[in-house]
Amino acid sequence: MEDKEKIVDQTASRAPKSTTASTMKAPENMEAIGALIKVTIDGMDVKVPMGTTILQAARDMGIHVPTLCYHEDLCISGVCRICVVEIDGQRTLQASCSYPISQPLVIHTHTRKVRQARRHILDLMLSKHYGECYACVRNNNCELQQLAKEYGVDFYRFGHIDKPTYGLDNSSYAIVRDMDKCILCRRCVRTCIDLQEVGVYEAFDRGAETHIGTFMENPMAELICINCGQCINRCPTGALHANDPSDAIWAAIDDPTKHVVIQTAPAPRSAIGECFGLEPGTPLTREMNTAMRYCGFDKVFDTNFAADLTILEEGTELIKRLYKALVLKEQVALPQFTSCSPGWVKYIEHFYPEMLDYVSSAKSPQQMFGAVIKTYYTKMHNIDPADIVTVALMPCTAKKFECNRPEMNDSGFKDIDYGLTTRELAQMFKEAGIDLLNMPKSEFDDPFGEETGSGVIFGVTGGVMESAIRTVYDLVTGEKIENLFDKANVIPVRGFEGIKYAELPITKVGPVPEILAHLIPNWDWLKGATLKVAAAHGTANAKKVLENIKAGGKFSECHFIEFMACPGGCLGGGGMPIPTNEKIRAARAKAIYSEDERSAVRKSYENPAVLKIYKEFLTDGPCGHLSHKLLHTHYTPRGKKLI
Amino acid sequence: MQIIDRQKVSNEIESLKEKHGKDRSALIPILQALQETYGYLPYIVLQETAHALGIHPSEVEGVASFYSFFRTKEKQGKYVIRLCQTISCNLAKKANVARQLENELGIKFGQTTKDAMFTLEYTNCLGMCDQGPALMVNDRLFSKVTPEKASAIIADCRRDFLKSKFPKVVPSDVKKSGPILNHGLKAAESLKTALAMSRSAIISTIRESNLKGRGGAGFPTAIKWQLAGAAIDEKKYVVCNADEGEPGSFKDRYLLYEHIEIMLDGMTIAAYAIGAQKGFIYLRGEYQYMKKYLEEVIENRRKNNMLGANILGKDKFNFDIEIRMGAGAYVCGEETALIESLEGYRGEPRNRPPFPVDTGFQKHPTIVNNVETFIDAAIIVSKGPKWFLEHGTAKSSGTKIFSISGDCERPGIYELPFGITIAQLLKEVGGENAKAVQIGGASGKCIAKKDFNRAIAFEDISSGGSIIVFGPETDMLAVAKNFMEFFVDESCGQCTPCREGNVKLLDGIEKLEKGRCSVTYLNELLKLGETVQLASKCGLGQSSPTAFLSIMENFKSEILGRVPEKD
Repeated sequence: MEDKEKIVDQTASRAPKSTTASTMKAPENMEAIGALIKVTIDGMDVKVPMGTTILQAARDMGIHVPTLCYHEDLCISGVCRICVVEIDGQRTLQASCSYPISQPLVIHTHTRKVRQARRHILDLMLSKHYGECYACVRNNNCELQQLAKEYGVDFYRFGHIDKPTYGLDNSSYAIVRDMDKCILCRRCVRTCIDLQEVGVYEAFDRGAETHIGTFMENPMAELICINCGQCINRCPTGALHANDPSDAIWAAIDDPTKHVVIQTAPAPRSAIGECFGLEPGTPLTREMNTAMRYCGFDKVFDTNFAADLTILEEGTELIKRLYKALVLKEQVALPQFTSCSPGWVKYIEHFYPEMLDYVSSAKSPQQMFGAVIKTYYTKMHNIDPADIVTVALMPCTAKKFECNRPEMNDSGFKDIDYGLTTRELAQMFKEAGIDLLNMPKSEFDDPFGEETGSGVIFGVTGGVMESAIRTVYDLVTGEKIENLFDKANVIPVRGFEGIKYAELPITKVGPVPEILAHLIPNWDWLKGATLKVAAAHGTANAKKVLENIKAGGKFSECHFIEFMACPGGCLGGGGMPIPTNEKIRAARAKAIYSEDERSAVRKSYENPAVLKIYKEFLTDGPCGHLSHKLLHTHYTPRGKKLI
Repeated sequence: MQIIDRQKVSNEIESLKEKHGKDRSALIPILQALQETYGYLPYIVLQETAHALGIHPSEVEGVASFYSFFRTKEKQGKYVIRLCQTISCNLAKKANVARQLENELGIKFGQTTKDAMFTLEYTNCLGMCDQGPALMVNDRLFSKVTPEKASAIIADCRRDFLKSKFPKVVPSDVKKSGPILNHGLKAAESLKTALAMSRSAIISTIRESNLKGRGGAGFPTAIKWQLAGAAIDEKKYVVCNADEGEPGSFKDRYLLYEHIEIMLDGMTIAAYAIGAQKGFIYLRGEYQYMKKYLEEVIENRRKNNMLGANILGKDKFNFDIEIRMGAGAYVCGEETALIESLEGYRGEPRNRPPFPVDTGFQKHPTIVNNVETFIDAAIIVSKGPKWFLEHGTAKSSGTKIFSISGDCERPGIYELPFGITIAQLLKEVGGENAKAVQIGGASGKCIAKKDFNRAIAFEDISSGGSIIVFGPETDMLAVAKNFMEFFVDESCGQCTPCREGNVKLLDGIEKLEKGRCSVTYLNELLKLGETVQLASKCGLGQSSPTAFLSIMENFKSEILGRVPEKD
């Protein structure tokens, strides 16, 4: 029933092999053939499987070895050399991150040579690292700064650059590049090529001239970039950061004529505590609500409402496509692809424009909410939509681009005025002197109801699919998904494997619910069918699925596929607290699933606020005339050529 | 402005893919061909190439910008004049030639004339160190250039250079030959001997001869072959490292000209011994002018069944050789960088382990050996290991081919036994009054008079064969600067110590030139030099400060406290 692939297949890494440490294949049954190898690190003995890197072995023993170019999510590079260690009998120091153990070794992690080399490497990086820490977005959250502290850097041994070389590129709505702070660890290069298959960055020139550049030296706004911000999350310094709109948001808050509303996506609440020193995985939803009001936002809404709305629109669209294909025998694009992730949408617009018909025309929850606020909500409260400022708290940098898409203004106004990331909101809180952890708790504002489980799981890979399954199964069979999956937890689509696949047999059908009665006469045509779904996260995995579909592989037989641009889904988004790794993402996922379990409403079609809007405002139902105007959109085939 | 037709570019790339292959390893040959057509690599060409090979345009630009022979920004002139910037040519009064070239063309180095006729640039060692100063015009080589001759060469270009006749480049003079150069073997003679032996017997023979790699690192050849031979894989590769880029080295160029058949025998024997089906000769970009000749020899061997299927009647022994041109990057002489380059990447050395014998070209077992190593191996198979052991020292058997240049009476190619002292060598070449000798090119040590009794051997001072003699008048700080500038430019740029450390060392040299470096700071730089040696990723980085450190150690009194002329 399920079929899962690893998030990053290291063996299929496209990065140059110079920046890919090939690890040896560990034999099975290690003990029996004596493939456990004894190494001595700083006088302590340990047995490790063959191919374990020195860094892994040291960390498992609790020995701290500093790293910079190393990142758990990425292939091993071994270029910064800060992690060097001394091995008895070897002339040179070895980078511990990229040295696989294949024979007994005696290793020292802090000899004179090691300390001297690390200090020199830091001094060399600092000599070219322009700017001062107190004027940097990553102050106190910077790996270089941390290391400088660790090694007691108190003067610039080899000088310090006093003029910028490259200047700032803030052309993009999403990502700001400040290459004067770059230390050439190449994490962004590996992220963009390997995790995302977008290839914005590469190392250019060589020797002392080496720098990270973009094709034709284009500014970020003009590149084939999907704005996912994964590079930001993995940048050890302030060389890459998000384009921060908080000054404009403060100005709107300060303007008494503006009614400023903020909607908050599921993922930020699971992680904002990290910006205040909490361990990953502590949700602070209600504390955050109070804090946002304290900052001066007039209303605080939950994006879960729009997520549930998305399920009804997108689910209805799917049913329409299936009906056309199976009953009317018309040509329709199947499988249907989700459209919530703006990074993914831009990816397909660039790299597979010929497949845009597969993408659901439903807007993302962020944009749907904006459109609803500037129409339904303004009408309800008699506010001039021109006076409303909509802010979206998102885990995402691509949302900043999405809200500026020219087509996203069906109400006559920009659906969403500003996309704000988790990190930026945390910064606003700090500026307002808010002690988030000790804020009193409060609920979201009406009329869009409280959080729902089906909405909150949008924040994790597989979540959109899980919500869709919960709703579609119930609506089609007239039964409860709980009969199939305990507590409605659709386990096959959960987890961090890169591509997940599941099948859902429809053995019986129920009556057509009222909300869909205008579209189809009955469900008989689905009886006995097997619903095939998949979920992919990270656009490198998306690429695999799309290629498989083009080649007529198993994913071409799917009915519905969820795509998320970021590894882990939104909780791994480019606007989330730094650092990120699989463990942190897993903790955030746990927080999200616990919010889901805690919710009273866990199925989109049961969300009372959603039912109400179809009754009062979108009266011609899901995919009806008005929802088509406000809640659906179209895409631009952009292609992958700049010239 | 040139208008480039997208469709035409695409069609051309498609036909180049037919010729060079459809995967990424075809990237560099394709770019070389496209640059030939368009005079440079405009963005649209980079973009179309990327999409044709299924990679990102930024990756293609990254590769193109790595190699100094590719141009992405500006069209190069019809005639590209590349003047050698190595120390040997400096010693031969290169500066006057450089000035005259600038005078004649009215441009500086790195520029192109407005009429798009001439581009003037520096290049690293052209391998004409015994006949310097040397320059290249496109792929034509000129040696012993004087300012007057420089002017004549330019005048000739203006009168349609391509049609005029030039004397064929004379390979460097062999001033002394020995058992290797006087091998007296005919083509395929040693190959026939090898094919009558078992694979393990060939490797045993090499092991008994104690042959160590002639590139400079001195890794035992037999171990390399044995490991690759023992690896289980359907595909294995033999690569000849003919990327002779070490400043002051020109013996491989000579060996390829005069002993190519023996070298090809050596590669074919290696292929037979390890079970490889395909070989590459990675030929230095500057040696483009030799490619045609080498290809003719290879084609001839194919005709005579010395390459191809069932070689010389040996059932199921199939092997063929392809020449791949480098594109101007010294670091590609490092074996893993060379493999990266063959695969179509920036020539950046890999993490080791795993080693190429296990995970080499496209992850298959690969041996990479120097030109001279293959020649030695072929002769050893023919004449037996004992013959080889008669020469050299216990730990360094055999003889070594040296490229000797600089301030001596008889520069040229010498075959000398390992274990020879520097004093003996200087006597041989007429350089007895030398102040210092650079052993092993830019990455080697600078030896002062007090150490002239030391021996050239793997157990004492190891060398890939480049020897530069410095006369009593030489400014040693200028020597250090020349080598350091070389590494600042030729570092691949991936690891911090080599990329940034050498820049700081060069800064320090400039401070010393101005007489503005404290002993405290110099000591800090010496420590930094140690860090670069210890912490760099590859052999290039690890050896890059060697010359600097040995010069500082030996000539401190000459270097400190300088008073510049215009102070």
